[in-house]
Amino acid sequence: MSEESAAEKLKEYSPGEEPELDRGPLEQWAANMISNPERAYKSMFYTATVFFLVTTLFPFYWLLMVALTQRGSLQNIIFLPGSFDPTLLAEGEVTMGINFFAFVEVFTTVPFHRYIFNSFVIAAVTTVIVIVVASLAGYVFGRLQFRFKGPLMLLVLIVSFFPPAAFFIPLNQLFNTPVDVMRPILADGTLYNTPYAMLIPFSALFMPLSIFILTTFYSQIPDGLEDAARVEGTTRIGALFRVIAPLSAPGVATAGVLTFIAVYNEYFFSSLMTDGREHNWAPLVEGILRYQGQHEVLFNLMAAASIAGVIPVALLVVVAQEKIVSGLTSGALKE
Amino acid sequence: MADVQLQHITKRYGDVTAVDDMNLEIRDGEFVTFVGPSGCGKSTTMETIAGLTLPTEGNVMIGERDVTNLPPKDRGVSMVFQNIALFPHMDVYDNISFGLRLRKYEEEEIDRRVENAAEVVQLEGMMDRMPDEMSGGQRQRVAIARAIVRNPDVFLMDEPLANLDAKLRVHMRTELQRLHKELDTTIIYVTHDQAEAMTMSDRIAVINSGQLQQIDPPLVCYNEPANLFVAGFIGSPSMNFIEGEVTDTGFSSEHVDIEFDVGTHEPNVGDRVTLGVRPEDVYIADSASSVEDRSARFTAHSDVIEPMGNEIFVYLKLGEPGRVRMDEEAAADQVLMSVDPDVPVEEDQEMDVVFDRSRLHLFETASGEAISHGF
Repeated sequence: MSEESAAEKLKEYSPGEEPELDRGPLEQWAANMISNPERAYKSMFYTATVFFLVTTLFPFYWLLMVALTQRGSLQNIIFLPGSFDPTLLAEGEVTMGINFFAFVEVFTTVPFHRYIFNSFVIAAVTTVIVIVVASLAGYVFGRLQFRFKGPLMLLVLIVSFFPPAAFFIPLNQLFNTPVDVMRPILADGTLYNTPYAMLIPFSALFMPLSIFILTTFYSQIPDGLEDAARVEGTTRIGALFRVIAPLSAPGVATAGVLTFIAVYNEYFFSSLMTDGREHNWAPLVEGILRYQGQHEVLFNLMAAASIAGVIPVALLVVVAQEKIVSGLTSGALKE
Repeated sequence: MADVQLQHITKRYGDVTAVDDMNLEIRDGEFVTFVGPSGCGKSTTMETIAGLTLPTEGNVMIGERDVTNLPPKDRGVSMVFQNIALFPHMDVYDNISFGLRLRKYEEEEIDRRVENAAEVVQLEGMMDRMPDEMSGGQRQRVAIARAIVRNPDVFLMDEPLANLDAKLRVHMRTELQRLHKELDTTIIYVTHDQAEAMTMSDRIAVINSGQLQQIDPPLVCYNEPANLFVAGFIGSPSMNFIEGEVTDTGFSSEHVDIEFDVGTHEPNVGDRVTLGVRPEDVYIADSASSVEDRSARFTAHSDVIEPMGNEIFVYLKLGEPGRVRMDEEAAADQVLMSVDPDVPVEEDQEMDVVFDRSRLHLFETASGEAISHGF
């Protein structure tokens, strides 16, 4: 049959009814995708999602496998813990060689709970300081008109441009200088080995981001609401914390969680501002490094400690995630 | 319950003077309305009373106290805002009780007062609703309940009905009057809607470019406006103005002459003056049976006719026939007349019209001050 006659044959059909073409399975699939692009988009979405989930979650999976492997079998990990051996079940061992005990050992070898506590407290206090101070700054930048507002805002921005390392040497000098007035509260009169040596620089370093987030949010609250609150009986600051901040909850949650996570994971400053011992407010990462002895590195315990350390932040994000997501997107849309 | 005094209040924003040397005394229990065009400084004046804006100069007195430098919360005022300004994250009960809770009232007292306030504005049974679940009128009631629940000395309302639809606005207007009767509190009300001002107030304060033009009961403002601005602002449609000159025999302009005894009135011969006449005081000469004190006839041609149902507005061109202009500038030889609906009028008709002499107003053109009302 020539091409001409095939074309003629096609013409005989009205647009509604297509001829049954003889297609291969791939051709058929492509045709379906073209006629029904929704399905193509959907499958692309799932492909992309699976890809991102695997790349982000696989390290966690590997960490868990390392943690569950007995010391000495670490090189055997493929997709199951290295020491996993189902035949052990016959010998009466229920765990089949998986070392769940690592999660207990983590806390008996090193007082790791104290390190978690240190990081948690420092992160929580920093977050509170940052939210309170950044709220005041955000109120001023977002809602008041005054001269030099632009340059001041720029100054805040410039501070956040400095690499934190640039502040380290002067701060370390400062915090190691004994101040006699502080002797009653601080053993040797210096801030070294105290939580204040971390709270102060962290609050300053993470402030600019929160100021920007809160400025954006607070500027969107109508003036009438603040006026109403003030006539009803609050001061300006009262109106800020009773009306403006609650209405900007997504923004406050976003700023708070970002600050919390950043401080909780911080290592550089904290390792240099303490001597790394738990009672001197050394943070989480210092704790993980404690499993490293002179002759041996307990990788399985390090992995277990890492997982244990992630749990508080993971819980926090799960609790606050709804607000954070709406905070990030609405901030992006409105600016 | 307190009187309010503004003493030499001036508010400047950079080079702009929003309020200019305002002196005002509002008596205890009075309902005073600030009216004026947009941007005339009426809202700024109210904000200085509320304490939301500090005046550049001058003092605010509430009762016996000088409150000029007190924050809003300590002034004993409450306020209803144009955009209603309910706290969106609180339900009706929390919104109404916000001020009471801040002042640490006992819970039973709060319950009792909130219940009372809700009853006054007919909001019973809606205590658990959130503001976004309510209609505009209901929200406005919540805002009013929030304002009355604290028993304020002075009640401030900044265009509270501006965002409501027309029917609801008329309804809420009567509600507010009823409320004023029940509460007997000093109320200061800001609006640019003169119908609201005329119907509700004990006295109207007419404000223009930051200056108080006149403060008087509504009908006094209407019948004896203090100057050209008040005359033009109060009344709808507004007063006709005809510019002219004082002669030996009275008022004279290109098309209109009004005789009056120059000796008994203040103006001197040769002064530039403006004659003001309201549309309802212009009559067709042949049908003006009820007017006792007629002016001389003069010729006019009708142009546009607007039948309103209860009356007819006729745009008249004085002297030669022509087209009237609706903008601000072209008032020199045109007059708006309001006649009864049964009077036969047609477009482009020549007619003789007369003014009611007892209801004419004479203003000095340069200063705008009123010279006399009626001849």
